[in-house]
Amino acid sequence: MPHTELMVGNKAVAYGAKLARVQVISAYPITPQTTIVQYLAEFIANGEMKAHFIEVESELSAMVAVQGASFAGARVFTATSGPGLFFMHHPMMEGADLPVVMGVVHRSNKSMQPDHTDLMAQRDNGWIQLYCENNQEALDTALMSYKIAEDPRLSTPTVFGIDGYILSYTAEPVEVPDQEMVDEWLPPLKAPWAPDIHLPVQEWKKRQGRMYGSQKAWLEHDTKFRSSLGVIREVNAGFEKTFGRSYGNGLIEEHNCEGADAVITAMGTIASTARVVVDDLRSEGKNVGLIKLKCYRPFPVDEIRGLAKKYHAIGVIDRNISLGGGGNVLNETRSAIYDIAERPKVLGFHTGMSGDEVTPQMIRRIAEKTLKSVSEPVPTAVEWVGGA
Amino acid sequence: MSKPTPFQRVEGEEIMALGNSSCQGCGHATLARITFKVLGKNTVYTSVPGCIWIALQGSIPLYWRGTVFEGGGALISGIANGLEAVGKEMIVVGFYGDGGTADIGLQAMSAAAERNENVLWICADNEAYMNTGGQRSGLTPIYASTTTTPVASESRGKKSNKKNVPFIMAAHNIPYVATASIAYPNDLIGKLQYAKELKGFKYIHVQSPCPTGWGFDPARTIKVARLMVESGIWPLYEVTGGNNFKLTYKPRELKPVKEALILQGRFRHLDDSEYEYIQGQAVERWRQLLNVDGKKLPL
Repeated sequence: MPHTELMVGNKAVAYGAKLARVQVISAYPITPQTTIVQYLAEFIANGEMKAHFIEVESELSAMVAVQGASFAGARVFTATSGPGLFFMHHPMMEGADLPVVMGVVHRSNKSMQPDHTDLMAQRDNGWIQLYCENNQEALDTALMSYKIAEDPRLSTPTVFGIDGYILSYTAEPVEVPDQEMVDEWLPPLKAPWAPDIHLPVQEWKKRQGRMYGSQKAWLEHDTKFRSSLGVIREVNAGFEKTFGRSYGNGLIEEHNCEGADAVITAMGTIASTARVVVDDLRSEGKNVGLIKLKCYRPFPVDEIRGLAKKYHAIGVIDRNISLGGGGNVLNETRSAIYDIAERPKVLGFHTGMSGDEVTPQMIRRIAEKTLKSVSEPVPTAVEWVGGA
Repeated sequence: MSKPTPFQRVEGEEIMALGNSSCQGCGHATLARITFKVLGKNTVYTSVPGCIWIALQGSIPLYWRGTVFEGGGALISGIANGLEAVGKEMIVVGFYGDGGTADIGLQAMSAAAERNENVLWICADNEAYMNTGGQRSGLTPIYASTTTTPVASESRGKKSNKKNVPFIMAAHNIPYVATASIAYPNDLIGKLQYAKELKGFKYIHVQSPCPTGWGFDPARTIKVARLMVESGIWPLYEVTGGNNFKLTYKPRELKPVKEALILQGRFRHLDDSEYEYIQGQAVERWRQLLNVDGKKLPL
């Protein structure tokens, strides 16, 4: 039977890897990811979990080691935070054909506290990116990540993020699914690309998925990568059937949006605060809803275009920045809807950078400004909200 | 019938396909042919960027994976652990160059050795970044002219000595460390056969002359390799059981280093004092190695 336990986000992530029956783990400690590694080492040390733990000397080696193990046919897991993630960039770019799953505990590169700039700096390397709002979602997303990454149509690395400190070290009640149910839902990895002495090398070579070569290889890779959006939706729906929980359609979730004139979008823990704010505003008769963006890569273009057809204004909250370029979600949202004739206003906001506090009052301001833009002109320059 | 060559005496199937895109006289091609015939088909081999990946990979029909330049040590660790986790027994080999071993690859290699991963590391040492046009590496010998240490009015070639990686690896107290040369195939084959049967981290460092980068006639690869050993510049030895040191080839008398160096364009500029320096080094190294021959290294 599933049981509910009070646990911090890092433990929820570790439980996810354990329930997925990961066979090879490799990771290097970094704040605030460290306790994930410690929990897993403990699970292995006390016999709760049967896995090889490769105690590497760096994040780069952690990434390459799990890629090696995945190539060999094992289910793998690694985890890191901000600077460690930057160090993994090189092998992440190279090994985008293997179903490696990674947990990232967001850490800014200007403080130890979270923003999403760390993971968004990895947006171009062909990894599916999922963001989590709470500890339950962290555990569930860990499991879903395996189902997505290992889907035979994809075999694509998948990373999910939780906000450092806000989730990593904060305890919440989490329902831990039954191991047998997980086993049934997530059977052992089939890895046709793995070395197999019974298979002639020429045959084996045809099973390799690395897309390498001319411009055509980029096009093929992009096409395949974009097709993962459909798989993510399927996996989310399947997860709900088995475990009774789901996260919107797997890509975005509309919260209290019915009849709304405007919506705001948020990712990670900000979405949690925004739910309360939007509910309050609705009860005051203000027609503004919340869109939680769970999947950032591939960017769910169809869903965003769908919003553009339903609402008159979208206020995008970016807990990230591309220096000199602006909020990543703002830019991609605008780009996705540009050719829609009757497109809504899109306003941009930076908040919560370097883990700075995001209060309900701040989100209220963002939502009210977005709503106001439906009926009257408002300044369209990107606004930085809060911050000491 | 002529006497079989050492290579023909190795049992098993020839792995390497005919024809490859290496330069004429490439030492690596010989090394790869010997290595994979000894190791056999139940082998997963890996590459990091370098001559072997670019010129030879297409001719080695084995299970293969490449990774980032700095990642060799982590890749073979991951593959070895992964294969064990899924219950497959295969030989896992890192077949890397001097850059992937001694420079950018040193950190991950050292960590894999420290963990005593069950893998075989072969350093195919052609003493510079030959695949990118012959830039100096940490394994380029002193005074060698390379494209980043050119000889000109203000430069006498590489300023520093070759890094002693076999001893660095011996200091990891791993089951097997050896040096080898493509000019001594019996010695090399014996070392590969020994390493093949051993569990844990095995390191074999093979000097593999490069006609293109070293500047000699491609017909003379083996001759150059042999003279490097006979002059004491590249001594052949092994360290077994963690610290038992043994010279595996002991010439009665060392040849003058000049005999080996004079054939190589990269040393064409050497003056008497520079020859003397390298000669002194070779003699002193040999004296020290003879001192520990058959003994335990203080590791």
